[in-house]
Amino acid sequence: MSLATFENYFLPGNGREVVALLQEYGERALILAGGSFVHGLAARDLLSGVDVFIDIQKLGLANIVTDPDGLQVGAMTRFTDFEKVPEIQNDPGWGAVKDALSYPPAQIMNAATVGGSIAAVCPYFDLPTALLAVGGKVKVESNTGSREINLKDFSTSLFESSLGVDEFVTGLVLPQPVSGSVSAFIKLATNANDLAIVNVAVQINLDRSGVCRSASVALGGGVNEITLRSAAAEKLLEGQKLTDELMKAAGTAVQVDISPMADHRASAEYRSAMASVLTERALQRAIARLTRSS
Amino acid sequence: MTNRSVLGNSVPRPDALDKVTGGKQFPVNVVLPGMLHAKLLRSPYPHARIVSIDAGAAEKLPGVKAVLLPQDVPQRKYCPVYFVPTLAPSMVQDMLIMSDTVRYAGQPVAAVAATSAGIAEQALELIEVEYEELPAVFDPDAAMADGAPVIHAGTEKNVAVNPVISFGDVEAAFEKAEHIFEGTYQTQRVHTCYMEPRVCVVDSDVAGNLTVHSSMQHLFGLREKLAFALDMPEGKVKVIKPAYIGGGFGGKLDIGYIEPVAALLSLKTGRPVRIEQTRYEDFISTTRNPIKVYLKTGISKEGRFVARYAESTLDCGAHATHGAEVINVHGMFGILLTYPCPDQHWEGKTVYTNNIIGGGYRGYGSPQGAFAVESQIDEICEELGFDPVEFRLNNSYQQGDPHPFNPAAKLDSYRFQDCLQQAAERIDWSSRKPAGSDQGVRKRGIGLGCQPLWVSGCVGFPDIYEHSGAIVKLNRDGTADLSTATVDLGSGQITTLCMIAAEELGLAADQVRMTYADTDTVPFDAPSHASRVTYSAGNAVKAAAGEAKQRLLEVAGGLLEAGPDDLEVRAGMVCVKGSPDVKIRVADVVERAEAPFVVMTEEGPQPTNLAEKGTIIGLSSMAPPANPSPATVEFVEVEVDTETGQVDVLRVVFAHDLGKLIHPAGAEGQVEGGFQQGMGYALMENLVFDADSGACLSSDFLDYKMPTAVEMPVKIESIFIESDEPTGPFGAKSLSEPCVTVPAPAIANAIYNATGVRVRELPITPEKILTGLGRL
Amino acid sequence: MKQLISLEINGEVHELAVAPQDSLLRVLREDLGLIGTKKGCDSGGCGSCTVNVEGKAVYSCMTYAMSVQDRPIVTIEGVGENGKLDPLQQAFIDAGAVQCGYCTCGTIMAARELLATVSSPDEEQIRHAIAGNLCRCTGYQKIVDAIKLAAANSA
Repeated sequence: MSLATFENYFLPGNGREVVALLQEYGERALILAGGSFVHGLAARDLLSGVDVFIDIQKLGLANIVTDPDGLQVGAMTRFTDFEKVPEIQNDPGWGAVKDALSYPPAQIMNAATVGGSIAAVCPYFDLPTALLAVGGKVKVESNTGSREINLKDFSTSLFESSLGVDEFVTGLVLPQPVSGSVSAFIKLATNANDLAIVNVAVQINLDRSGVCRSASVALGGGVNEITLRSAAAEKLLEGQKLTDELMKAAGTAVQVDISPMADHRASAEYRSAMASVLTERALQRAIARLTRSS
Repeated sequence: MTNRSVLGNSVPRPDALDKVTGGKQFPVNVVLPGMLHAKLLRSPYPHARIVSIDAGAAEKLPGVKAVLLPQDVPQRKYCPVYFVPTLAPSMVQDMLIMSDTVRYAGQPVAAVAATSAGIAEQALELIEVEYEELPAVFDPDAAMADGAPVIHAGTEKNVAVNPVISFGDVEAAFEKAEHIFEGTYQTQRVHTCYMEPRVCVVDSDVAGNLTVHSSMQHLFGLREKLAFALDMPEGKVKVIKPAYIGGGFGGKLDIGYIEPVAALLSLKTGRPVRIEQTRYEDFISTTRNPIKVYLKTGISKEGRFVARYAESTLDCGAHATHGAEVINVHGMFGILLTYPCPDQHWEGKTVYTNNIIGGGYRGYGSPQGAFAVESQIDEICEELGFDPVEFRLNNSYQQGDPHPFNPAAKLDSYRFQDCLQQAAERIDWSSRKPAGSDQGVRKRGIGLGCQPLWVSGCVGFPDIYEHSGAIVKLNRDGTADLSTATVDLGSGQITTLCMIAAEELGLAADQVRMTYADTDTVPFDAPSHASRVTYSAGNAVKAAAGEAKQRLLEVAGGLLEAGPDDLEVRAGMVCVKGSPDVKIRVADVVERAEAPFVVMTEEGPQPTNLAEKGTIIGLSSMAPPANPSPATVEFVEVEVDTETGQVDVLRVVFAHDLGKLIHPAGAEGQVEGGFQQGMGYALMENLVFDADSGACLSSDFLDYKMPTAVEMPVKIESIFIESDEPTGPFGAKSLSEPCVTVPAPAIANAIYNATGVRVRELPITPEKILTGLGRL
Repeated sequence: MKQLISLEINGEVHELAVAPQDSLLRVLREDLGLIGTKKGCDSGGCGSCTVNVEGKAVYSCMTYAMSVQDRPIVTIEGVGENGKLDPLQQAFIDAGAVQCGYCTCGTIMAARELLATVSSPDEEQIRHAIAGNLCRCTGYQKIVDAIKLAAANSA
């Protein structure tokens, strides 16, 4: 890729070194994980002033730990390795994550990382929408230690996060879905190697009588400047039996929460209409998993 | 037509082995000692006058060897299109390598040559250009309005060319028509998306002679245009033929900025200079012109065309280039000659705007016409209750009719009706349901699109080169070398021409090798374009091979004690007709011809036959005898998601009368690849620009979408209707371009059949379908 | 600022100085003369530059040279054994999957990962595996045929 000349490329061996580099170079530094969106940032003029890479592959952040509370996923975990995790493959409560990882072509699956996809704060990405729906938390580190940020609070505006200047993403925590949870993700795009025009992920939990105990509905792909949850849709679903009509109504309800962008890829009206259609379809897809798993 | 032993078989492509192991011979790989790398500075403004340029700081950057500014460039206006004479009266001479006026965002205004591409890029940032911005216009209708900015001085209403063609009395014919239909059909700007970028390396010697390597579709066109633009004699320019290039599709059919700029920088520095375009630069280089077609058609009670009126407005962007010819091909083969109609009137306008320039692209104006004509036929059929297949059958030319474009010739091998009937049967046309009648969210439909009449080259077109040439030389090992100026774009020109030579020579396909060529060593050939190579270059190769064979038979005749007319070549052996045992190996004949005249024997020196001495060689340089027309029909089945508007293409059946089939797998490849391009045109591809700045917003493959393997239908079925074209090499005519032309109307008509929604503007995006369904 | 690194490519270790922004693609083509890997878009969109890193298909244009130190890389030049073509290369020739050939090597490198993990992939798996590789000539049909053929011939 045709980038301006960079000053330096660091391969730090631990988190302290990363933080020190962030403190030294500030806005000039870009944390490099898989590198699959750097050209996208450069082409959109979002890299001006950046001339130092901090490659975090030597930090040992590509590990995945499974415990009863859920999954701890290192930031450098590549999509292709994340997809292979048995819990992601098998737990219908994480179906949205599995779905989101089924779309990218091999070259992206093999390069893109879980941490990078979160830290980029790009609303057109797929995985963050799925992670938002399943209640993911971002692990971040700085010289004052580490903390967890709910994904819901991580994105602040287009390409901007709540990370401090000397903080960086080290991993993801996925809480174990409550028993009986199902989730699903759907993406609308023009071809198989595309950013989302709209994407929707849902996670729902039903009691034995089919009444929705909890629901989360996440939308991305330009329905807003940031990937977001639809409180209106969730409220509508909770405490109700999930009928076809209710799922359609939930699709309609997301309109309250979104504020779609218009660009050369889609009009705001189209994104808006698709947010409803995809919400309904994601719910249907999730429900189908419930039927299968029970 | 004789028996064919080589043709009709899918022999391995001679270039395939090299390409699967690394493809070393692409022009992008050319590296010369001491080579510099150049980059172009491009204007951010769509319309501006350059007040001043200060390149002082750039010149001082270490590693920078030369800077080129507009004042260093000959101010000679030219037409950059390869296949016409530079000063062709039917074209427009409005291009300059660089000038003080910017007419589109991205136009080069300066260039730097440096020891690395990175240094050249850094140097560009140091060049200070002061622009005086001028008002810009991006819409052709607005450009023709009173008071619009003038893009080229001396043009009226920014109209570059304005062809008008009439047959009969169209007004009277409309009065007699039973039904009249009208519609306006708009196509968009798309890029050919060749995968190898435009790239060149130009070297110069102390005497100022140039040697040029380039990824392009025409050696001789590049030589002619480059020499003209630089005000040099053509003899000082040598263009090397690349062994193959990484796709062209019409996108490398005109001289770009890079060759003249590299040449001037090489002359300045005395070193080879390389320029490789970035994908962004390729996207703003050559594109298919958008055309808006207003089409009005009169129909008789019986469902026959009786009158047709059309106006086509072509947006050529900042320079006319191909737009001056595309409009004519569009008018003739896209509209007027598609189906016979006695009374017609068409007016075309090629209009300047401050958009990027257009270019050549497979189909050359015909896809834009076919979208209008074929969509409207289905609208007519829907309204009047005609079956779209029957309607086309009833309105088509017949085999043996005079050729409507070249009336001296006849449509001897024309098989349009067979194409229609066989393809209709294969897709099960009779099972087609009424429009929009499918229940449920996902609706299926079948549609068709046709190109009833296309070309095999350009004989008959004003100002267009069409002759070809070839040299065929036999080697002592019994193989043959073929050299021609024909560039293989990937579509198999090498394979086809070697097969034709082998067939003529009686050799196996792999015994003919396509070898080196440059503009100094081989006869002129027109470009690889216009579906012309198999027919036109094929005829020239056959003639050269025939001449070599004649010489072979003469020499063999002396050895076999037979007259050349009594001999034939089969499987590498020259034998007496009717006495296959009286034979001699081709290799032995060549050996004999090449051997010294006096040979040393046990009895001492013995003279042989002086008359048989010399390389066995054949040469041709000739225009093809005619311009036979193939016909093309395509049916597609689609499924439309009526909630999202997304379209899946499920099935494709394509039928084409190509004369005699030369290489079945290669022919299928043309159809399948053509469908990828046509489907992209129909559904998703679109170069989009900022409405204020004119900047390209879709300049990488993240934003410019084309079908991947996932979107493509799983099977594209090709039906080749063979006939014997009497003027073609071994009965062949042409194939390439209609494969790209027919998908868009076929898909549009299938979407209508599925949903009842008629979209008259490409691409047919999900949004447009939903709007048509009233869901947006 | 250039740094001295070592890269293992096709089983051979190369020591070379690279700049931070240097892509693996640039280094392969310009510094090491491994020109079988092609630049088609230089922005991770076309797939012509696909190589294998640790056996996996990646876009070498969006892979920084410094990021693949100590990670074995295979390019088209390293495919095939003992001077024989890889079954995929032979199948691309036999199935007529090569036209202009500019995308060919990248597509073979993508298909290589697929066949290393799935011995007889179905149509959908094949199409998904090459979804990151654009081809403008073939419509992919004969490429898909070639991958099926290679799988069958390798079985």
